Amino acid sequence: MAAHAEAHHGPPIAHQSSRVDAPTLGMLLFIASEIMLFGSFFTIYFFARVVAGPDQWPPPPFHLPVFVAGINTAILLTSSFTMHWALQAIKRGNRAGMQAGLVLTLALGLTFLLTQIREYSRVGFSPQDGAFGSTFYGLTGLHGAHVFVGLTILTFATIRAFRGHFTAAEHRGVEISGIYWHFVDVMWIVVYTTVYIL
Amino acid sequence: MTEVLDQTPQAQAAPPKTGWRRWLLGPGFVRAAWMAPLFFGIGFLIVIGLRSIAHYEPLLNWLIVVTVAGLVTAPLGFLAGIGAFDYWVYYALGYPTRPEDHSGHGARSWKDYFRVNTDHKVIGVQYVVTTIFFFLAGGLMAMIFRAELAKPGMQFLDNQEYNGLISVHASLMIFLFVIPAFAGLANFVIPLMIGAPDMAFPRLNALSFWLLPIAGIIMLSSLAVPGGAFGAGWTGYAPLSVVGTNGNVWFNMGVQWAGASSIMTALNFLVTIITMRAPGMTFWRMPLLVWANFTTSLLVVLATPFIAGSQFFVMFDRLIKTNFFNFHESGYVLGYQHIFWFYSHPAVYIMMLPGFGIASEVISVFSRKPIFGYRLMALSLCAILVLGFSVWAHHMFVSGMANWLRVPMMVTTLLIAVPTGIKVFSWLATTWEGRIHLATPMLFALGFVSMFVIGGLSGIMLGAVPIDIHVSDTYFVVAHIHYVLLGGSLFTIFAGIYYWFPKMTGRMYNERLGKLHFWLTFIGFNLTFFPMHIIGVQGMPRRVSDYDPQFGTWNMIISISSFFLGASFIVFLYNAITSWIRGPLAGANPWHAMTLEWQVSSPPPIFNFDEIPQIVGGPYEYGVPGARHAVFNGAREHELEEARSP
Ligand code: HEM
Ligand SMILES: [Cu+2]
Repeated sequence: MAAHAEAHHGPPIAHQSSRVDAPTLGMLLFIASEIMLFGSFFTIYFFARVVAGPDQWPPPPFHLPVFVAGINTAILLTSSFTMHWALQAIKRGNRAGMQAGLVLTLALGLTFLLTQIREYSRVGFSPQDGAFGSTFYGLTGLHGAHVFVGLTILTFATIRAFRGHFTAAEHRGVEISGIYWHFVDVMWIVVYTTVYIL
Repeated sequence: MTEVLDQTPQAQAAPPKTGWRRWLLGPGFVRAAWMAPLFFGIGFLIVIGLRSIAHYEPLLNWLIVVTVAGLVTAPLGFLAGIGAFDYWVYYALGYPTRPEDHSGHGARSWKDYFRVNTDHKVIGVQYVVTTIFFFLAGGLMAMIFRAELAKPGMQFLDNQEYNGLISVHASLMIFLFVIPAFAGLANFVIPLMIGAPDMAFPRLNALSFWLLPIAGIIMLSSLAVPGGAFGAGWTGYAPLSVVGTNGNVWFNMGVQWAGASSIMTALNFLVTIITMRAPGMTFWRMPLLVWANFTTSLLVVLATPFIAGSQFFVMFDRLIKTNFFNFHESGYVLGYQHIFWFYSHPAVYIMMLPGFGIASEVISVFSRKPIFGYRLMALSLCAILVLGFSVWAHHMFVSGMANWLRVPMMVTTLLIAVPTGIKVFSWLATTWEGRIHLATPMLFALGFVSMFVIGGLSGIMLGAVPIDIHVSDTYFVVAHIHYVLLGGSLFTIFAGIYYWFPKMTGRMYNERLGKLHFWLTFIGFNLTFFPMHIIGVQGMPRRVSDYDPQFGTWNMIISISSFFLGASFIVFLYNAITSWIRGPLAGANPWHAMTLEWQVSSPPPIFNFDEIPQIVGGPYEYGVPGARHAVFNGAREHELEEARSP
């Protein structure tokens, strides 16, 4: 048995039975799971707002900083474009373009996160202020945590980019972190629309 | 350029460590022993830091510190210590990753089972052994509270202890036994069955296993929390779980770790099944066990985040006084039950579909006949997957939820019995006129079919609103869940363990002891749980430590039978341990089965196959002249010709 195993240097190459490659599919399934996690937070939000909620939402005397958050939305959206740019750059073998795109994306994402923290400190209510406060901080906080995770992943991609990894042929690290980043952006649009605008 | 960089040996991040440095800094339990406290300290500082920034008073809240540092960061430190993250850290920081030398793959001695190992076969065994440990722990608790219930009146437990014991019992059985035991068996066989050398993400696979002991230890240690273990049941309903003992936090976090583990495994199964099937292995040629785990994994990936959400809300309500379920601050209490059951009804199928798969394998092999209605079997799995998301509120008929929800939920609940019934009839039709071999796996599989029918019937009764209103929260529900979970899931787990025991260990278990185990379990199980239907209909409520004296006789009978049932597992343990050590060698294919895992040696070679096989037919063509499932290397061309020619 053991001798049999030792005779081989490595596993046989697995047969690729799908056109999607494994890491991309894994990331897509992970995102599906993440969407459901947001789903549970949206569910409790709507329970609190529609089923058990007060007549007015947000309940007086609270106000939501729709405008500042709108600017923040624009910042995050822009970061999706810079991310896309980074990926397109490395696809053409343009390493400097990729590095610039990644750094810009990081900077924009960080700005978003800091703005949100600043907003928390000035918004005038806390997670303890009724189900309104709890669900507001719940949804935006969950999203903020995802921005944080996205930024972490992007940081790693950036480090690798500056250490000479990724080529026109092999750039999955950028592509897959990009997919996650776009998901975080799109999710923000849904959160922003629900929490601030509707 | 990069490719080259990845493989230059002298570019190793750190020089090879020697002696004590290797002992202290190399991945393993020693490193875990100092990294866990280190990470506890980091978690402590994070909590204090954030609280001082936000001007929260008091700065030091021990419950929060223990939750964050003890139940989150310290376990992460442990994982980092044993080396679960090493590769990813190297990758993320752009260091050259260690060229894969397969040193972390496969088991050369028993010590390799206590390491982060990337071999799906080792991980499968790790899973099965770990889950049996938690199964025994949970079973022992059942023995304790059955002793308490033997007579009316309070014996030796107080109410809090009693509630703690039943809650930890159920949570261990569900989150640390049934769900991961299936994941473990599937881990061992799926890559073999579909003709893959390993799972798609071996390192993720290793990580998902190591999250389990953490989850289990968290749940067990809640018994030691001052004030008592979590006592709101495995369902953890708010508001009781918010205002009850602090042990509830251990439930919240234990569920998160176990949930993360099952999501990662499910994701891994899905990717493996989709992208790594052997040539010729179309979806309609996959063994039903693979189908079953495919649908289960979809359920896990899509439903488990909901229980994660519900536990976060409960935990925040307790720790930082949010109001998700606080009625006084216009929180919505019933929201908990909706969100919880939106996970937990699909979860009952997470606990059952893999068992369906095992039953299909075993029944077909031991009846020497093709599965009856193979495609319908696979399609009914898909139907259950979809319908499973539309029935959650049948657990809430008496909760005070919106009245209009009752009838739709009743209808969907009864509808789901249709695909379930199709499966039962298919198993029966498979045995029809088969050459049945009543070996232990088959006994357990047939025992499963018969017991599951009883559980399904009581399920349909519970799904009917008027009956449910009468028996809600009585022992009738307890009878139902044990017929589906013990008679159903547990029996299939045992069927699977006996069936693949020769493949996993290379040795044969003792058939006489196996049969003895089955009959003791089967009889003990029915004596214990059937009477619960009767006292349930008569109105004995569940989850109480004392009861009306009129139920005394039945409860005495139940308690005695339950000790009998408990003792029957000793036979299993004895059989498993002695056979593993010195049972007779099993040979590659003791059951003469066609699926791929039986076509390689027992235990299988480290990389499963020398060369990926070519699939040429269905997996269950027993008794069909000339039928083949796969052809292997060597005479491949010749055999392919042969298989193609009519
Ligand atoms: C034909 C299929 C089934 C039907 C129609 C059905 C129906 C029901 C209903 C209506 C209830 C709620 C009873 C109440 O609380 O008043 C229930 C409870 C339960 N069922 Fe099933 N069930 C089925 C199969 C299963 C399966 C396969 C499992 C798990 C393997 C399962 C596990 C449970 C559990 C654990 C509970 C109790 C939940 C609690 O602790 O409150 N059921 N079932
Ligand atoms: Cu249900």
